[in-house]
Amino acid sequence: MFDLYMTVRSVTRGQKGSDALGRAGISHRLLRAPRSIAPGGCAYALALSRRDGTGAVGVLDRAGVTVEERWLREPGGAFRRWGQ
Amino acid sequence: MIYLDNAATTLRKPPQVARAMLEAMQSCANPGRGGHQAAARAAETVYRTRALAAAYFGLEPEQVCFTANATEGLNIALRSLIRPGDRVVISGLEHNAVTRTLSALGAKTVPVRAPLFDSEAWTAAFQQALDPETKAVVCLHISNVFGAVLPVERIGGLCAARGIPFVVDASQSAGILPLRPTDWNAAFTAMPGHKGLLGPQGTGLLLCRGLPEPLRFGGTGSSSRDQSMPRELPDRVEAGTLNVPGIAGLGAGLRWLAERDPKALLAREQGLLKLAAQGLNRLGAETWTGKNQTGVLSFRLPGWDCEEAAARFAEQGIALRAGLHCAPLAHQSAGTLPEGTVRLSLSPFTSPREIEAFLTAAKRLHIRTSRSQHQSGRLNRPVFP
Repeated sequence: MFDLYMTVRSVTRGQKGSDALGRAGISHRLLRAPRSIAPGGCAYALALSRRDGTGAVGVLDRAGVTVEERWLREPGGAFRRWGQ
Repeated sequence: MIYLDNAATTLRKPPQVARAMLEAMQSCANPGRGGHQAAARAAETVYRTRALAAAYFGLEPEQVCFTANATEGLNIALRSLIRPGDRVVISGLEHNAVTRTLSALGAKTVPVRAPLFDSEAWTAAFQQALDPETKAVVCLHISNVFGAVLPVERIGGLCAARGIPFVVDASQSAGILPLRPTDWNAAFTAMPGHKGLLGPQGTGLLLCRGLPEPLRFGGTGSSSRDQSMPRELPDRVEAGTLNVPGIAGLGAGLRWLAERDPKALLAREQGLLKLAAQGLNRLGAETWTGKNQTGVLSFRLPGWDCEEAAARFAEQGIALRAGLHCAPLAHQSAGTLPEGTVRLSLSPFTSPREIEAFLTAAKRLHIRTSRSQHQSGRLNRPVFP
């Protein structure tokens, strides 16, 4: 289940991050961020499993992809900040 | 038609280019503006071209910004760096895309001149022109008029040592010579997508190693509530809907190039250029050739006005370009004002047979002129049959 959302500011950053995660073998999806985790409007999120979270942070950092915020989606659908 | 006007735009493209454009038109919506399949497909198409270009030029994907052409890229770059009254050193071969923009910005432009094909002399001339007041240096990589290659890496080194931003116009070199903005210390490198990169018209790239100022303002599909343009590249300079079919075609052109040996492509063009120049010289034509030259050749046929000569070639099915080539400064520097030159320019699809046909046509013009001169007893008089 993809329950960890890492937000990025632009679709290009998201795509670059998606490429890096793909190369690292980390399952994920790139999607438009839900409004509740994108207060500035129009952002993107890399959604992945929380068990891959720590590894993904390292991968994205090495790829030079700036993650704005990390959010965990609760079973009920609400988001809470993750690991910050 | 024998098309020898590739410095204006490459007419023949790999067939994949048109196929990619059609596919994009039929399947791609607005990239970065929605989460549905057609928008995602558009975003993917754009990113694949961006990433390919980044790999091709040794940069990160976000440093590759899409523009409508090289002129737009140069406008963004120059408007980002230059204020009225700034001293800007440029090569004496620059295109109006640079000189008109600098004029509009009120820059104090200092053109550098050196023998066309002498890299050492160009480097020395730039070195001499740089002073503490210099706010930017702009230099093309290859002259669109003469095909002369300028030593941008060395000029970039001079700029880096002095902390001067360096802008490269790679209009004629992209897809022809290796482009390494990082090695050149170039803050910005602008190029069209429709020339050596074999993409369609309406495409261009601006490679950014510095932070540009936007030329256009509007929607980017990111940070929408913020009423200033994002600082994030490429969004900062890509307001509005992108030319997705064009970018798809450009991607296909880039892939075609990436699958080939660039040295072999260049050597082939240089071989054909030599063939053309030798043939023209045998006819007594004036040609501009040298060691550091790619597939662009300027010439004049004795007794012919350049525009009239190009028109006669066109009547024989040969496409050339005559006049000033939007680069009056280059002609001023080379002493070819006011009439300019006739320009022949090659592509990977130009064949030796086409060069032979061009030389046969040139010979016809030459014979016609010689007869006329013999009959009239007057020299340098063009004949219009």
